This record gives sequence, C-alpha cells and structure tokens, in this order.
Amino acid sequence: MQKKFIAAAAMAGILFAGSASAQIKIGFHAPQSGPAAADGKSSTIGAEIARDWINEKGGVNGQKIELVIYDDQNKPDQSVPIANKLIGQDKVVAAVSGSYSGPTHAAATVFQNAHIPYISAYGVHPDITKEGNWAFRGVQLGQPQGKGAAKFIADKFGKTAKVAMITMNNDFGQSIADGFKEEAPKLGLTIVKEYTFGLGERQFGPIVASVKADAPDVIYAIGYYFVGGPLVAQVRSGGLKQPIVAAQAFDSMKLMEIAKDAAEGIYIVGGMDRGRTTPADFQPFLAEFKKRAGYDAEAVAANCYSSVMLMADAMKRAGSTDPAKVREALAATKNFPMLTGPLGYFNSVGELYSPLEVTQVKNGQFVGVTVIDDQSILAPPK
Amino acid sequence: MLFVELIVKGLVYGCMYAMMAVGLTLVYGLLRILHIAHAGVFALGAYMVVTVANATGSLAAGFLVALVVSALAGMAIYRLAYQPILGHPPFVPMVVSIGLFIVMQEAFRMIFGAYGIAFDTNPWYVATISPGGITFNYVEIAMVIASVVLLLGFGLFAGLTRAGIAWRATVTDPQMATSFGVDPVRVRYLNFMFGSALAGIAGGLVGLLNNYVEPTMGGLVSYKALAIIVLGGLGSVRGTLIASLILGVVESFGTIYLADVFDRDAIGFLFLIVVLMVRPQGLLGRK
Amino acid sequence: MSAYIASLVSVIGINMILALGLNIISGFCGQVSLGHAAFYGIGAYTAAYLCKLGVPLPLTLLAGTIMAGAIGIVVGLTSLRVRDDFLAVTTMGIGFVFLGFVRKQKWLGGELGISGIPGSGLDPVVYAGLILLFAAAVIVFSLWLKRSWMGFTFDAVADDEDAARTVGVNVSTYKLTAFGIGTALAGLAGGLYIYFARIILPDTFDFVQSIAILTMVVIGGTGSVWGVVAATIGLTLLPEVSRAAADYRLLIFGAMLMLVMRFSPGGLAGLATMLKRRKAAPKEVP
Repeated sequence: MQKKFIAAAAMAGILFAGSASAQIKIGFHAPQSGPAAADGKSSTIGAEIARDWINEKGGVNGQKIELVIYDDQNKPDQSVPIANKLIGQDKVVAAVSGSYSGPTHAAATVFQNAHIPYISAYGVHPDITKEGNWAFRGVQLGQPQGKGAAKFIADKFGKTAKVAMITMNNDFGQSIADGFKEEAPKLGLTIVKEYTFGLGERQFGPIVASVKADAPDVIYAIGYYFVGGPLVAQVRSGGLKQPIVAAQAFDSMKLMEIAKDAAEGIYIVGGMDRGRTTPADFQPFLAEFKKRAGYDAEAVAANCYSSVMLMADAMKRAGSTDPAKVREALAATKNFPMLTGPLGYFNSVGELYSPLEVTQVKNGQFVGVTVIDDQSILAPPK
Repeated sequence: MLFVELIVKGLVYGCMYAMMAVGLTLVYGLLRILHIAHAGVFALGAYMVVTVANATGSLAAGFLVALVVSALAGMAIYRLAYQPILGHPPFVPMVVSIGLFIVMQEAFRMIFGAYGIAFDTNPWYVATISPGGITFNYVEIAMVIASVVLLLGFGLFAGLTRAGIAWRATVTDPQMATSFGVDPVRVRYLNFMFGSALAGIAGGLVGLLNNYVEPTMGGLVSYKALAIIVLGGLGSVRGTLIASLILGVVESFGTIYLADVFDRDAIGFLFLIVVLMVRPQGLLGRK
Repeated sequence: MSAYIASLVSVIGINMILALGLNIISGFCGQVSLGHAAFYGIGAYTAAYLCKLGVPLPLTLLAGTIMAGAIGIVVGLTSLRVRDDFLAVTTMGIGFVFLGFVRKQKWLGGELGISGIPGSGLDPVVYAGLILLFAAAVIVFSLWLKRSWMGFTFDAVADDEDAARTVGVNVSTYKLTAFGIGTALAGLAGGLYIYFARIILPDTFDFVQSIAILTMVVIGGTGSVWGVVAATIGLTLLPEVSRAAADYRLLIFGAMLMLVMRFSPGGLAGLATMLKRRKAAPKEVP
C-alpha cells in the first residue's frame, strides 16, 4: 500500500510542480467547491488582487510573490494535508487562510508546528490563534464585535433599551452573541429573548411573530447576508418597525438585492463605509474586484486582500522571507491600513485591535455612521 | 394570540412542504425509490422562474417556463436515471438519486454562479394583508392557494379521470393494472411529470418568498420532505399531506420554545423517530 | 514518509475504518444507514471531551468506540421496528438529531465545537502509522467476519430476512450485532480523528459526511472488503490529484456515483468480477 501512496504523491508532485524558484511563495487555501464555494471565490479573488498589485509595484524585497492556492472544501481533513503539502512540497514561507474556522484551526496547528507564519483572514473561531505564536488573525474576533454592538445600541438607543437577539447557529453567530450577551447587561441593556436559526433557514415567520409579541426596542440580528436578507424582509413585512442592528456578515451588496427596501436603515456593526476614501487602495480595490468577479466586494474579500498585503508588508519590514523574522515583524505590526479599518496592533496571542466601523443602509448604499474606537470594549481577548 | 399566529404560520410552511413531499410520495408509491434528486428539480424550478422573470419582467412567464421545464426534467430523470436500474435493490436508485442531486446542485452553481440570484422586482414579497391581526405577505397567500389548487386538482384527477384511475390502479397493484391494459410506463412518466411540476412551482414560490434563489436551496427542504413522507407512511398521499401540515406547525412551535435545547432543523426528524417508535408504519401507512 | 504523505495516510486510514464499519451494517447485514457520520461524531465528541479532561489516548479511543457502539445498538433497535426505506430515512434522521442536539450543548462547546485538543504526543508520522495499523486490523477483522459463520448469517439476513427467521436465525440479535460493531468502528475513527484535526465542529459530522462514507462503500461494492478499501483510497486521493480541477470536483464525484450504479451496481468489486468472467468466457466458446 505504501507504494500506492508514494506513486500517487509522486504523480501529484509532477502535476503540480512549482515554477520559478526566485519567487516568494505564500500558501493560500479556501473552499472553492461545494456549499461554501461562494465565500471561497470572493476570498480567492481578493487575495489574487493583492498578489497582482504587490507584483506590479515590484514585489517584495525585489522578488515577486506567488500564491499557492488550494481548495480545502471547508473541511479540516482537507486542510491538514494541504498545510503539510504547502510546507513540505511547495516550501511556502508564509500562509494565509481564506477559509472558515474548522479548516483554518486544523491547519493552524500544522503551521504552528512547522513554524510558518499564518494569518486567518476571516475565520473567527477564538481558538485559532491559541495554539501558539505563529498564527495571527486578519479580522476582528466575534467577541469584541458583539461587545461593540452592545455599546453602539446603548449609545444610540438608550441604556435601557430592550433587545431581541436573532442569532445564526454557527461559530460566527455564537461567538458574536457571546460577546454581546457579556457586555449588554453591563451597559444596562435588557435582552428580552434570543432566537436562533440554522444556516439553511430562510423562513422566519414564527420568529417574527414571537418578536412581535416581545415588543423589543431594538432587534439585533447576527447572520450572513443571505439569511439576513430574507430575515429583515420578513421582519418588515411582518409589521415590525423597530430599528435593526446587524453583525458584520450582513455587509454585502447582495443584502440590498435580496431585502430591497426592507434593508433601508439597517445598522451594521463592523461594516465598510463604501464611500470612504481611506485607505488609498480602498476605492481602487472595490472597482478592481467588481471587474474581476462581476459582483461587488464584501468584507470577506477585503479581509483576504488585506491579509496578503499585511503578510507582504511584514516581509518588507523584516527585510527577509525567513519565517521567524516575518513572524516577528507581523507581531510588531502597528497601524497597518486594512481595508476594513486600521489595524492598531496585535496582542500577545496574535489577535488584532481595530476600531469598529458602524454603517447604515441609506438609498441602497452602506454609509458610515460612527466609529467605535474604545480599548476597554474592543481590546481583543487573550 | 402568539399561539394562533404560530399555528397559522406553521400551516403556511406545511403547504410548502406538502408541494415538495407529494412528488416524493408519488415516486415512492410507484417505484419504491427515495427520490432525493427531487430537491434538484425544486431548485431548477426556482432558477427558471427567477431568470425568466428577471429577463422578461413577467412572473407568469417565469412560472410557465418553470412548470414546463421541471415537468420535462422529471420525465428525463425517470428515463435516463431510474428506468435502466429499476430491477436493482432499493439502495441502487437511492445512490443514483444522491449522485444526480449533487450533479444538479453543482451544475446550478456553475451556470448561475455560487452566489444566489434575487428577483429584480418582487412586489408580492413586501405587500401584506393582515386578516385577524396576523400579517401575511402575498407570496405566502399564493403558496397556500397554489398548493390547495394543485393538490385538489390532483385529487380530482386521480379520483375521476380514466388516467387517474389507471394511475391509482398501477400504484396499488402494477401487475393487475398491466393485465387490465394499463401501460405502466405511461403512468410512470405521468407520475414524474406531475410530481416534478409541483416541485418546480414550489421552488419558484419559495424563491419568491426568500427573494433569493441559490444552488443549495433544495437540500434542507427535501431532507425534511423525506422525513414527511416516511411520517405519512411511505406512499400514502393523504398521510403525506397531514404529515406536512403537522411538521410545519411542530417546527413553528419548536423554533420558539425548543431553540435552547434543540436545533430547529432536527425537530422534524426527532418527531419522526418518536412517531416511528410508536407506529413503525408511519401515521397513515399500512402494515 | 513526509508530513504531507503522513497526513494523507491518516485521512485514508480514518476513512477506511468508517467505510468498513458501514460496510458491516449495510454490506454484510443489508441494513441501509444514511447516518453513519453521527456515530463518527459520537466517537469524536466522547474522545475529545475526555481528552480535554486529561484522559490518555488509549482510554479516549476506547471510550469513543464503546459510546458509539452502545448508542449504535440503541439505534439498531429501530431497525428491528422499521425496515428498508423507513430505516434509510430514520438513520438519516438520527444524523440530523445528533447534530441538532450537539449544536445546542454548551458543555460540548455548542457551535464552537471542541478545540485546543492536545496532540497525540506522537510524531505525526508515527501517529499515521498507528491509524494505519488500526485500519489494517479492521480489514483483517472484516475479512474474518465475512468468512465466519456470523458472516454467513449476516448474508442470510441481508438476502431474505423472513427466510432467515424461518430457519431459526435470531435475526434481531444479528442485526443489533452488526449495528453495534459498525457504529463502534465509526466511534474509533472519530477518536482517531480528534488527534489528527485537533478541533471538532458539529458540521464535520453532517449529512454530507454520511453520504461521503456511503459513497466509499457503494463505489467499492457493498459487502466487498477489498472493493471498499480500494474505493476509500481512490476517493480520498482524488482531491489530491484533481486540485487543479477543483471547480468540477463535486460534479465529477456526483456523476461518478451515478455512472457506477448505472453500469456496475456492484461497484468496483462487481466490475472486477464482471471483467474476470468476460475474460473467462471466450475460452468456453472457441
């Protein structure tokens, strides 16, 4: 049997032998087939734009960068061999995950053991960075996002506001909800009830009926835009007029396509103000992404773009591609302009601090409302 | 009040499940196949409605195309996928059906994109009426009307017309029916045609209801529909209808009152297992 | 063995134990199960929970195996009540019920699953060897089971339950045994998986995973040990050699499933027998 494995591996090696060796190889994995393929596609395009723009400007330390991209199907048992392959055969010096939490966490342990710096661009499971000091996160954790939402609601709608939570059942939903539930009572908010729904859910009639009976002041919805769209539409057509505050993953132009007028007025904590002109590459990125993908960029794409940019920036600052030096440079990052907002610093476990932008849907566009920049609330957990 | 509203909303979703599950029951009753690829036909119908409606601006044209295409797709599935393997043990067509569902789902993703498609205009979706204080949007109303009309129509067809009687005879006893001159192959085509058209229309309506059509939209509904047809006693149309409505209501309450301990999507199956422990033949099944 | 090969070997070994376990239930005993991933999950959750409490590897594996097997026997009881297609949907339901339960259990991490699972303490290559050893033992056990009197009885139950009952076979006991063994193996695979992936999330054990395991069995040829082994290796390595065609992978996978069932319902094993017969045939007719 051993022979079979070696033969298969050899075959795979021949098929995918790396090209020029004068390039800096950065590993990248994302779900490109199956149900998670939509985000995988966006994340890959985002990363590719970063690669191309870095290379157009002369690369890093005089060398071009190459992304070695694999499909992990959103499965840990795929991402572990991929991580090993990236390290052992492709000899990457760094890696970025454009995938969800499961595969990212499993791969993080492999990169940790091999001492290769690794950035999780949007996987939000709190433990991804806990394996050691080689994994970093290119996105704000769920917990500070939830706390930020509580602060925003308390500031905007009064400290005694009654909130009904509608939470999506997955790691993203749960970790944001946990942060919210921790902070909300401290600020005086009352959570009247928390409703949960699965990723495949599109019918919210019973939840809407029950929320109506609860009569909250504010509805806090945590979910992806494709569940968020039908949700807010049904909340509005169910006759509920309360303001809706939503979590980051509502941030997609598809939200307006799906929910139409019902999306008007929704607040998104952790969204991207599409009209902003900082950082300088923000507007060009939006245009370039639309050109390549045929649809508008959302946070997932922006996070992957920024994570690749950040990795390249760390290499420049390190003046080397030696993984240990790149890791040190990454850890020392200060005020790096991510598309989703400036990255202040990384804490000791590789979680970033970043102010949280709050946007609102106005005339079908995401418009900035305020920025929460409060260390006491948004400091990343250790 | 909340109770009444939960029951009513549950019944609306029950109608949606019924349109999906009846097609599955028809296929099962006739051929003993767990037709999982039915979910693909459901999504196909939704894609037809959304693409045609967005291109022409006419929802009616969309539904007409969906009706025809999904009916044809159903017949093609029978001819190409099931007919050649009818003599094999039941898991063979089931696995074929799973394979076909995966193929259809991936084909939608490649043709129409991994991201879903929303309707350009969907006036029914936000227009509401509130009889008795319970708010419905027009799509929900359309869903209920469509399912009642279509299923009632089918009932009349099966009970009163020649072809309907032939169909019932074939389901009850294929051999006897054949010896009385019924062409079983025609009955099967008819079966797939009708069941698939129902699924296609249901898909279109659900697409309108969500205002979003996506490659994977058939999956969860069809898994639940499988639970429903077993609950109803495999092959029993009446049992399927009752089970659909019950599941709609049970889920509706479960979403609100069971959410802390148990995920909504599993409620149907939990209910199924409990029922089967008491009545192994399903609610209306015969032993 | 490089770390990459070792991780592939680990995945193959785990899949093999899963597929051979299902093969005992569905292949040997003829009971269709669409919920095998639930038992994989039960084993993984049990082992991971204990592992986090500091229980050493041999005991976590054992506990995972026993827990999955015990619950498997309970589920097997349903197979005594319902048959064939009812059973297929019921077992599918077991998978959904398992997920629906686990998702909401805070003590099992809820949606965040169990992470930060300590490593096996073994070098990844050695651990891959250990998994392979278990897989080999399961192959030998399967072959033995198939040839033993128990295997023949399983066959009889699979072929015609009522006839088996008439000739005095205690059908219930055999069905339960098959469920117990098959699900216990899934539990073992789950235990082995946690030290490999070091994180488990509820979605890892979903319906799609059950279908993936079933696919290995039917493509290999239900009931054929070597067929299932070959299919497991082939299907697990398929993504590795087809990474370039990632976009079409699932499409090809689905099409393959249809074509194999259409032209060789016996899977690879059936195909092999067919080819053998064809080769032999011309000799008889000169």
